[in-house]
Amino acid sequence: MTTTANTAAAPSHRDTTGPAVVVRDLHQHYGDFEAVKGVSFEIHPGELFALLGTNGAGKTTTIETLEGFRRPSSGTVRVFGLDPHGQPAGVRERTNAVLQGSGLLDDLSVGETMDLAHDLAATPRDGGEVLELVGLADRRGVAVRQLSGGQKRRLDLGLALLTRPEVLYLDEPTTGMDAEGRIETWRIINDLKSEGVAVLLTTHYLEEAERLADRLAIMHRGEVRVEGTLQDVLAGWGDRVGFALSPGVRTADLPDLPGTELAVETRDHVLWATYTAGGEDVADRAHRTVAALIAWADEHGTTLKHLQVRGASLEDVFLQVADGASDLVPD
Amino acid sequence: MSTTTAAPRRPRPAVSPLKQGLRLTRTEFTLFVRYKTAWMYLVLPPFFAFMAMNLPNNEIVPGFGTGQMAMVATIGSIGLILGVGHPSNVFTARREALVLKRLRVSGVPQQAIFGGVIAVVVALSLAMAVVVAVLVFAVFGSLPQDPLMLVVAVVLSAVMFSLMGLLLTPVVRNAEAAQMVSMLPMMVLLFLGGGIIPLESLPESARLVLGFLPSVPAGEMAQTAYSGYDAFRGFGTGEEKSYLGLWIAALPSIGVMLAWIAVLGLLVRRYFRWDPRQP
Repeated sequence: MTTTANTAAAPSHRDTTGPAVVVRDLHQHYGDFEAVKGVSFEIHPGELFALLGTNGAGKTTTIETLEGFRRPSSGTVRVFGLDPHGQPAGVRERTNAVLQGSGLLDDLSVGETMDLAHDLAATPRDGGEVLELVGLADRRGVAVRQLSGGQKRRLDLGLALLTRPEVLYLDEPTTGMDAEGRIETWRIINDLKSEGVAVLLTTHYLEEAERLADRLAIMHRGEVRVEGTLQDVLAGWGDRVGFALSPGVRTADLPDLPGTELAVETRDHVLWATYTAGGEDVADRAHRTVAALIAWADEHGTTLKHLQVRGASLEDVFLQVADGASDLVPD
Repeated sequence: MSTTTAAPRRPRPAVSPLKQGLRLTRTEFTLFVRYKTAWMYLVLPPFFAFMAMNLPNNEIVPGFGTGQMAMVATIGSIGLILGVGHPSNVFTARREALVLKRLRVSGVPQQAIFGGVIAVVVALSLAMAVVVAVLVFAVFGSLPQDPLMLVVAVVLSAVMFSLMGLLLTPVVRNAEAAQMVSMLPMMVLLFLGGGIIPLESLPESARLVLGFLPSVPAGEMAQTAYSGYDAFRGFGTGEEKSYLGLWIAALPSIGVMLAWIAVLGLLVRRYFRWDPRQP
């Protein structure tokens, strides 16, 4: 079972003939409200692109445009060179989606649901194998209405896999799943990538994006604020050097280090200082900051208690973007 | 940024919308049987026929009275009751549950999705027409003289009113609202369609105007098919017409229903919503 973080800069199964999905300068207006403002990205075969953002950031609108349900107000959307809105049949026979809700008929059984989807598809996988894959083989005779939320999501994923999609849109696919189901779903998604499927993922689980995404973008208020591989994105947001202040040391005593930003907060009645070290010297900036702080501590006869050094996490980046603080990127 | 996208990697044989529609029809039957609320729409036509049975049966043309004609006219209202009631209800519920979107993203065309439910409405309408015909036979001992015209009337009205039911879905937010809202056109059209109030009792000018309503032609075709007399815009002089003559007389009614089907089809295509999300 593969559950390790996937931070490769480029997928190994990329099709050299070009990207499967191209979104260029996409705008979507609803009256005076602009839900999507100039979004651009590409997804290659065998690549997973994660689209992150708070509720209302424009993720689902972007996916719905790719699915062909909405005509772009301006900009270009192409899937395998086709316009999803103008040529939906040509696009949909090669794509599928796991929607935000499960989209299942509650009055059918799991087996009936799979049989229906099988009979409607042009070149389906074997329904029994798919149920086995998503861990629902023993639930075949159970009514959909009796499934748990997580099981419904797994069935929905199974329906999407049944049609052998070459592009798969996953809109919060693991919401409602338990930890085991989530890990199993990640394994399935990684297998799909290995088969050359281009995947667009939206999720509120940042760990999910960290583990699965080859590249990611964080949207806020309709705009892509940050985009790149996980390594690139995190590198751009600096390293964190944190420590607890010894008794008697005041915030004003802390040194002003070039190329860093200082934040002080109270944790369990103790003052914590966190220096965010930016700069192009990605390999050395944490060392440079720690060395300067140790020199300062020695000089002032104090210690850096509980000293921690870590890179920026996706959560750090996400929260800063969500707070509208993307202009504060250190680099 | 690249300007081209990846080429196809494997040929994709297309599955025909007809095959998909027939498969969905099978599932629609299963769902109809399991969805007990929908059974209400099967009960109403025989109920109205039973009510019409008690009307005075003053003879209009030789061998056919007003009560008998009103009972026969309820055959024309079967499509209205099932078509407006059932598709509006289930398609609203499925839209809100993302079932319709699930089908569309899986490559099922809208013709197949609509076709599945319309086929069920047509089949059940024909079955209920048989039930009412049995009632008419039991009470009055008469059978349709032109069964084909009766079938055409039922089929066209079922298709037409199914499209009307689909057209109601964009204006309602859930299945409960769809049930309530669908009652309004259903009752108005029933009232004005001859199923409840015999159109014979109305003046000629009123019948001419009402003839353009979608609920009138099917009832008049049913009366004509049963009696062998031209029932369109009244029985007039009560002259019996030839088989061909009745079909020629039926053309305006068929035309009205086809026109409604065309208009409603265009409106459904333009306004039907597959997605619960409002822009």
